[in-house]
Amino acid sequence: MFDATDSAASGSTPGVQAPRVGVFVCHCGGNISDVVDVKRVAEEAARMPDVVFTTTHMFHCSDPGQALIEQKIREHALTRVVVAACSPTLHQITFRRAVERAGLNQYLFEHVNIREHVSWVIEDKEAATAKASRLVRAAVNRARLLVPLDKRRIPIHPAALVIGGGVAGLMAARDLGDRGMKVTLIENRPFLGGRMAQLWNVFPTNEEARPLLSNLVRDVVKHPLITILTGAHVVNSEGVVGDFKTKIKIDARGVDERLTYPGNAIAACPEETISEFDFALSRRKAIYMPYPGCFPPIPAIDWHTCTKCGKCVAAVGGKGINLDAKSRELTLHSGVIILATGYDPYEPLLGEYGYGIFPKVITLQQLHRMLDPEGPTAGALPFDSNTPVRIGFLHCVGARQIDGVNAPQPDGKVKDYCARTCCTAAMHAAVALRERFPKSHITSFYQDMRTYGRGHEEYYEQASQQGVLFVRYSPWHPPRVDKDRTGKWPVVVRTNDLLTDGLPIEVPLDLLVLATGVVPHDISELVTMYSCAVGYDSFLLEVHPKLRPVELAVSGVFLAGCCQGPMDITEACSAASAAASKAAAMISQGQVEMDPFIASVDEEVCTGCQTCLTVCPYDAIVRDEARGLAIVSEALCTGCGTCAAACPSSAIQQAGFNDRQVRAEIDVLLGV
Amino acid sequence: MSQADLTPVPVETPTSQPWEPRIIAFLCYWCSYTGADNAGTSRLKYPANVDIIRVMCSGRIDPDLIMTAFAQGADGVMVCGCHIGDCHYIAGNHKTMTRMPLLSRVLQDFGIEPERFVHEWVSAAEGDKFAKLVRQVTEQVRQVGRLDWPGRMYRRGVGHGEDLQPWGDQA
Repeated sequence: MFDATDSAASGSTPGVQAPRVGVFVCHCGGNISDVVDVKRVAEEAARMPDVVFTTTHMFHCSDPGQALIEQKIREHALTRVVVAACSPTLHQITFRRAVERAGLNQYLFEHVNIREHVSWVIEDKEAATAKASRLVRAAVNRARLLVPLDKRRIPIHPAALVIGGGVAGLMAARDLGDRGMKVTLIENRPFLGGRMAQLWNVFPTNEEARPLLSNLVRDVVKHPLITILTGAHVVNSEGVVGDFKTKIKIDARGVDERLTYPGNAIAACPEETISEFDFALSRRKAIYMPYPGCFPPIPAIDWHTCTKCGKCVAAVGGKGINLDAKSRELTLHSGVIILATGYDPYEPLLGEYGYGIFPKVITLQQLHRMLDPEGPTAGALPFDSNTPVRIGFLHCVGARQIDGVNAPQPDGKVKDYCARTCCTAAMHAAVALRERFPKSHITSFYQDMRTYGRGHEEYYEQASQQGVLFVRYSPWHPPRVDKDRTGKWPVVVRTNDLLTDGLPIEVPLDLLVLATGVVPHDISELVTMYSCAVGYDSFLLEVHPKLRPVELAVSGVFLAGCCQGPMDITEACSAASAAASKAAAMISQGQVEMDPFIASVDEEVCTGCQTCLTVCPYDAIVRDEARGLAIVSEALCTGCGTCAAACPSSAIQQAGFNDRQVRAEIDVLLGV
Repeated sequence: MSQADLTPVPVETPTSQPWEPRIIAFLCYWCSYTGADNAGTSRLKYPANVDIIRVMCSGRIDPDLIMTAFAQGADGVMVCGCHIGDCHYIAGNHKTMTRMPLLSRVLQDFGIEPERFVHEWVSAAEGDKFAKLVRQVTEQVRQVGRLDWPGRMYRRGVGHGEDLQPWGDQA
């Protein structure tokens, strides 16, 4: 029934020991054995050919359970091991290690999932036992065809590249540097600090954001092992884990350290544009520094705005400013990469809750800039502290949207995820405003109050105690922001308050603050370059949210901070430290290990049709022109097996999942 | 061979046990297999007719393997992978996306009803969807009845028939 091409990597391959299969069936403390008759499963497996030993155990993942497997491998000279237990995502690695400790190649092990796929989902005990038995026997048949495989080992270049100079990137760079790793930190804006620098005061410690940030920046700047490159963009990336070659382009700054009085140069500049740092609340010059104390502490020139009039050069006597500076390119070698590309605050659509129509509708980010003593209004709001000013906070703007209720974004989707930080941030700002304007009336329009973190709920409580009024609106009927017909107030919010049984209410306001959500910073080029997995919400997707939370599926690329999803600073820093320690662990190994499920070409069968070249997502297959054959590059192959499925002559086989092994399972499952 | 030649031959059901549909599900490891795990951890209940075969990526699922499953006596086959855009291997599932509808057409030409072959995306979080899918597929395969492709082929004197070896042809 198998054609000749199926014989690749079969049980009869020279050097592969004849199968002597041991089957270990786990009770999982009753999780399995309450439903599945594990004894019967073991007995039925024992009747399969080549099975020399079967047993059951209460907990095979426990130390005695693992010891039993090791002992039986030695005692019965087992050459294949089948463990029927929980999901392989949990304990496959545990058992592989046990098998290896007993001196057997870890890929001669086969894991059967009879908990998540059998005992927890099937109520009928007879049917569950029959299914478990089928799965175990299928695994035995597959195990008989397993061959030893070697983990691929790739030497690793002992340096890390951190992309993004916000708080997460800085944190990751510092942690790696402190572990003695060489780090290059690149930031595409001309200044470090990212989004955190734009905040005025941060929860849950009520600390000023920028002094906190400058401590971190100072550590990074002074670190002998860390190189910082600002204005740097990734142009191209080659290579794989262990040896990434990242080509970057560094924008010309136009200014260097010899510029001693930047103020004179900035004052002399006649060109102005809106300040992105102040969220368009102010204007800045073409040669600019976003805030005092920024790093690098020298201005940068915005070449889109600069007309090269030369007035700044004249104002400083020609020292330190070069208007003819050119951008340069360089290639960075690194073993690992940490992505800390951060987020952008959600920019409401024109007219969304009156944004862009009513000047008194602002975002929470803009409020932060206004409250900042170093900000565009020097910390002042346009109200007298004695007036009974009315301020509203509208939650979930650009977050938790409902398809069909909220207007879709330019990409056609709605922002349906929770931005996680804005409830606490809005409460934090409300409390601060109540302190600054004791006579103010603050109303918070919310869907659900999600002040979930440690010390966050306190802001909600504090706001309640300070008389902040809460109005709960239904996400299906978002509030409407209108003009006041009497002309007395800048805006009026109309909604139905669910807390008073849907009573329609109308709240006139002096200022409406939109607590806007979080969207990932646009890194579509990086996503393509590093083949990152991206979730439905457009944030980068980790391998597993619990077990591998800061790793991308692309080996050697790690995630730090908000590029992965909405996080507050605390969480972004935790994620950054975690990513740094994972990266450091990988570098300190000196080499990386990868699963060996790669494709290989049977050169005698390959016809050189090149079908495989067209399907490989990693361009890991090339054509050997001289011989007219396909060649798999082992370093680039990640082991998806798509080429094996596409090969019309079955010349490509995926190690660990070759046609015979998969068919061996089908045979038993269908009782052939 | 014309379509008329493929009119199903009446199937004699074994008397010992009532017939139960046998369905093979090919699941990618990163999304759908984990989605099936999720159904388990959520303790969702579904029938025992579907047996899961794990592959690293749905792109590995060679149409040949699906044909093999039918040829070996499966009454139905499910193929599940990551949603488009979520593939662990960038775009392995794009290949699945193009192969499977084509295969479905080919299977119909062979007289295998579309109800017997289901291709669906299941993410790691969609345990609920997976459980529903298993229930639905089991039910629709039960409705169309037993396929018994090997029996039909044998009776027609084509195909594997008596060549079938119990455990493969290895030494």
